Amino acid sequence: MAVRILLVDDHPIVRQGLRTLLEGRQGWEVVGEASDGIEAVDKVELLQPDVVVIDITMPRMNGLEACRLIQQSSKVSGLEVLFVTQHDSPQMMRDALNAGARGYVVKSNAARDLLEAVEAVSQHRVFTALARGPQASC
Amino acid sequence: MLNESLSQSESDNPMLHVEDAVKLHILLADDHEIVRRGLCALLQRHDGWEVCGEATDGREAIEMAKRLKPDVVIVDIGMPHLNGLDTTRQLLELDPHFKVIVLTITDSDQVIREALDAGARGFVLKSDAARDLVSAVEALQSKRMFFTPRVNDLVLAGFLEKGHALSRNEPPNLPTLTAREREVTQLLAEGKSSKEVASLLNLSTKTVETHRSNIMRKLSLHSIRDLVVYAIKNNIIQIQMPPQIQRPPETTVA
Repeated sequence: MAVRILLVDDHPIVRQGLRTLLEGRQGWEVVGEASDGIEAVDKVELLQPDVVVIDITMPRMNGLEACRLIQQSSKVSGLEVLFVTQHDSPQMMRDALNAGARGYVVKSNAARDLLEAVEAVSQHRVFTALARGPQASC
Repeated sequence: MLNESLSQSESDNPMLHVEDAVKLHILLADDHEIVRRGLCALLQRHDGWEVCGEATDGREAIEMAKRLKPDVVIVDIGMPHLNGLDTTRQLLELDPHFKVIVLTITDSDQVIREALDAGARGFVLKSDAARDLVSAVEALQSKRMFFTPRVNDLVLAGFLEKGHALSRNEPPNLPTLTAREREVTQLLAEGKSSKEVASLLNLSTKTVETHRSNIMRKLSLHSIRDLVVYAIKNNIIQIQMPPQIQRPPETTVA
């Protein structure tokens, strides 16, 4: 299944690592990158991705705020947001889901969880994984 | 990415040996796989460079460096089990010809001084790695050093102040730990028991207990909590405090 992905993280080297991982999957395409929440909101409207893979802690506008704005935008439909973050915290995960995200993965385990998470959220299923392990649900 | 060994047919091909010999071999050590993937992708794009190995902590980096003999070793400063500064010290003790670049999230004066003291020949901020790392490796390849502008300022200030390239403004105010004691300190500060430390370092539990007593006595520490504070203050372990995220006000449903 083809999936168009927007990557959002303030560290270029992390974006490069995520891109390498995601582009290994046939049919998946990283259509753009953004380095903060404001840029992410702009690029979502411009590129109309299927999935936004986004960090929480970023300059100018954090990922939670960007997620709320993206989800409120009437121009975007069917888009899902997946957080990839260093915050290994149930509270932060709840905040992310409350902001409208469909997935939550901890950065230190991204190599283990990211592909499964993108696959799940692109099919509109919830995928959450703190450091101890993933929990996918419909 | 990992190119630790050649197959029989490859090892029989003399052209491959020639090509292999002129390549610059780079060993990467960082505990985050996503960061390693990003760094690998960045470095492999450069003609003639090859990431010959990837290590997830300092101890693994030293073992791989012994085996792979890389031209350049890139070490993250905040790795588990053995941090990047102690990894650098141990690598250079093993072979002074190793060229080490330290990757760090902070360029505080103390970290810079420790990296220089440890013998690092390059110092790159992780946030600037995409911009600076290739230049840093190129510098080391040309037998030069690479530092961020802040490091250059500090080295220059030391030169002007004291008349030599690198000086310390203040004498060390704490007794010096041996390399082994620093290793034990890091592992204890990471929350490992004496038994776990013994297993990781191939020592007896009794030897680890002796190291632990010596460390506490040398540093005048009285508890593991004191040891953790010492380890953080002296960059033996690094902690990343997640910044406070402002949450929206709770909404109530009428």
